[in-house]
Amino acid sequence: MIKDAAYWIAFAHLPRWRYLRLNELLNKIYNENNLSLEDYFSLTEKERVKEFDLTEKEAEDILNAKKELPNHAFLAENLSNQGFELITVLSSDYSQTLIKNYKEGYSPVLFYIKGNKKILNEKSVAIVGSRNANEISIKFTDNIAKKAGKEFKVVVSGFAKGVDKQALDSAIKYKGQSIIVLPQGVLTFGSGYKEYYKPIVEGNVLVLSAYHPKTPWKAELAMARNALIYGLADEIYVAESGETGGTWSGVIDGLRRGRKIFVRQPESNEKNANNILIQKESGCS
Amino acid sequence: MTRNEAEVILKERFGLNRFYDKQWEAIERILKGERVLLIEKTGFGKSLCFQFPATLFEGTTVIFSPLIALMRDQIKKLNSLKISAKCINSEQTTDVNSKIIDEAKSGKIKILYIAPERQENEEWIEAVRYMNLSMVVIDEAHCVSVWGHDFRPAFRRIINLVRLLPAGLPVLATTATATKKVENDIEKQIGDNVTVIRGNLLRENFQLYAVKVNSEDEKMIWLGKNIEILSDKLNGTGIIYTGTRADTEIYSRWFEHLNISSAHYNAGLDTESRIEIENGLMNNKWKCVISTNALGMGIDKSDIRFIIHTQIPQSPVHYYQEIGRAGRDNKPTIIILFYKPDDRKLPEAFIEGGRPAVSKYHKFIEAVKNELLGERELMKQANLKQTQVRVIKADLMEQGIIREVIINGRKKFEYVTNAPALNSKSFEELRAVKINDLNSMIEYVETNQSRMKYLCDFLGDKSEQNYHNCDNTGLKKLKVIVTPEWKQKLNDFREGYFPALDVQTKGSNLLNGVASSFYGFSSTGDIIHKCKYETKEDFPDFLLRQTVKAFQKDLAVRKLI
Repeated sequence: MIKDAAYWIAFAHLPRWRYLRLNELLNKIYNENNLSLEDYFSLTEKERVKEFDLTEKEAEDILNAKKELPNHAFLAENLSNQGFELITVLSSDYSQTLIKNYKEGYSPVLFYIKGNKKILNEKSVAIVGSRNANEISIKFTDNIAKKAGKEFKVVVSGFAKGVDKQALDSAIKYKGQSIIVLPQGVLTFGSGYKEYYKPIVEGNVLVLSAYHPKTPWKAELAMARNALIYGLADEIYVAESGETGGTWSGVIDGLRRGRKIFVRQPESNEKNANNILIQKESGCS
Repeated sequence: MTRNEAEVILKERFGLNRFYDKQWEAIERILKGERVLLIEKTGFGKSLCFQFPATLFEGTTVIFSPLIALMRDQIKKLNSLKISAKCINSEQTTDVNSKIIDEAKSGKIKILYIAPERQENEEWIEAVRYMNLSMVVIDEAHCVSVWGHDFRPAFRRIINLVRLLPAGLPVLATTATATKKVENDIEKQIGDNVTVIRGNLLRENFQLYAVKVNSEDEKMIWLGKNIEILSDKLNGTGIIYTGTRADTEIYSRWFEHLNISSAHYNAGLDTESRIEIENGLMNNKWKCVISTNALGMGIDKSDIRFIIHTQIPQSPVHYYQEIGRAGRDNKPTIIILFYKPDDRKLPEAFIEGGRPAVSKYHKFIEAVKNELLGERELMKQANLKQTQVRVIKADLMEQGIIREVIINGRKKFEYVTNAPALNSKSFEELRAVKINDLNSMIEYVETNQSRMKYLCDFLGDKSEQNYHNCDNTGLKKLKVIVTPEWKQKLNDFREGYFPALDVQTKGSNLLNGVASSFYGFSSTGDIIHKCKYETKEDFPDFLLRQTVKAFQKDLAVRKLI
């Protein structure tokens, strides 16, 4: 466990702070002032506010976070004992793909992970799609995962039913590697670890979350998590999308960010929104 | 805060006039938010070094302590001073513990004692999120080191925790017994910026004796003859440490046979009986308590007048720790160690028998590589006994090969991704160190130098002192004289000792009865063995008489005759 884990936990979960703001402040602390988070928290309140352009609310948030540092140390110890690691945005283990994709500083500043962290920096493929995907989509997912395995690319998926789960299972089946991006905290994923125990300990699956470790599963987090799946992948494949829902808004968001997205060409009798997505943007195929 | 200001508060809250210099040195650093390792002998007043600052801090001080008896004593004392202190431990019900956790969350507790194992408890971990923490204390800090005499894996987690605590949160680690090697190990583990404060270990009020004997009989006779005289002369009670639980009972019955009041204590007794004996000891109810080393650690009795070992401990550190419990009031205290050459077999067996074969380690590893398993599942799958699983588990965790995780509220062993290969060399290294320590302990008996100096040197206290408190430096040596009269007394006891055996269980054919030879104590077992396997002759009449005697005594006890 990184020594300054308590500081990072406190910092990463400042209430209602956006990733952009967190990254900005980190940049000021580490690059412009050559300090560490620990140093920053040890500054006087005046120094913290004045030299780092904090608003009143921000200053108060940091003061409160400072008080909770010992509590975060207990949490960090518990995480470490349970085999979780923290990867900060400044670490070389952090996904460089994500940084490249979201250069403006929209990346989470902290990941909680379990498993083989090395696969965060392998070439990667995201496979996304509906929870109620049809058989053709599932077959498509299986094919893409098989191809990814052959090309030593890691499959990134979100552990939802349907396409996500298939992407993970196929990656394991073809002896490939996979990243599970959780829409919840790592400490609330008990049965998942049990189910994927072997591939995790063998180093073929990495479980990752950007949320506070105790956060329970929430639908809105699942939506937010999709952006992370896109960001962690070099290539994005859509197996099946409805006209609304997570996959749809994920693709729209990805297109807005200028990502290249491959949408499966549906067969004529299929009822889904794949064609609409393909027509929506010339970049799709 | 100046020392004077602090001493005003000390008087007010603790009724004490002043700090020792070393106490103040530690407290001053703690008040500044520093980290301190305090190595001081028993009776120095280490507890005050965290209790005092804890009362000044706004939030709660958490004290990790492995000793439930110590927790109880200190809490009683603190509460009598109107300082809110509580403990969470396995001897209290879940409801009681939960209630205390709630109180801690709402800031009602200043000092919270907790067993290191509690760090595994989800309720506690959840509660800590909401507590206002002011300081963390690790009591008996030598338990964090595998080189220490009492390594406890649960302490590893505490060390990891300390490493993660933010700068500025004071941390105090205390111990009475740390060799230089253990000190360095603790220091390394706690991390940067630790100040070590080490006092001298000389206990001037101790009178140390070592007595070489030829048989168990000699030990029993000496004690039978002298224990009452010793207790009366010193006007107090003491502890006799034996090597096994069975011996605690045998000695106690021997004293009973001689009409000497005593009690026996060991970890096999239920909580209630243990508390009763601890209280009796506090109130000098008996001439002595005969115990395994389970008794005494952390008992807050300052006037234990003598400690006698009938069995040689595993190392000088064990010995210093155990005798350290006596004479904390600085009044004359007698410390005696009995030793006969084959006594080394028992500690040696502990050292040698401590570890299962390496192949069993591999079985364990293979099993957890494939599946997430709990202790029972693993025992079944790898065909290992519970004790083996526990020893292997601790070693593998130590080497970073497995970890114990909690999945859906259940403990499971998890293989660590990219774990290193098993290093069985480190076991051999540890074993060699332990055998060396045992040899040093025996050397303590053999030495003709000052015994106190010998112990202090071993513990890394190099301060130059004048030592004249042992049978090598001026005190008269103790001798065991076996008279026919005492031989007869012992024989009468031995041949009339038939302890009740409570062995009856459902699903077994065993019935309750009495032992004719308790752990080989009388000659019955030997005689049967000889007749059956060596001379192949008829059993002698002695056995018949012995059997009749056993029946007579048992029936008398049950008031049937």
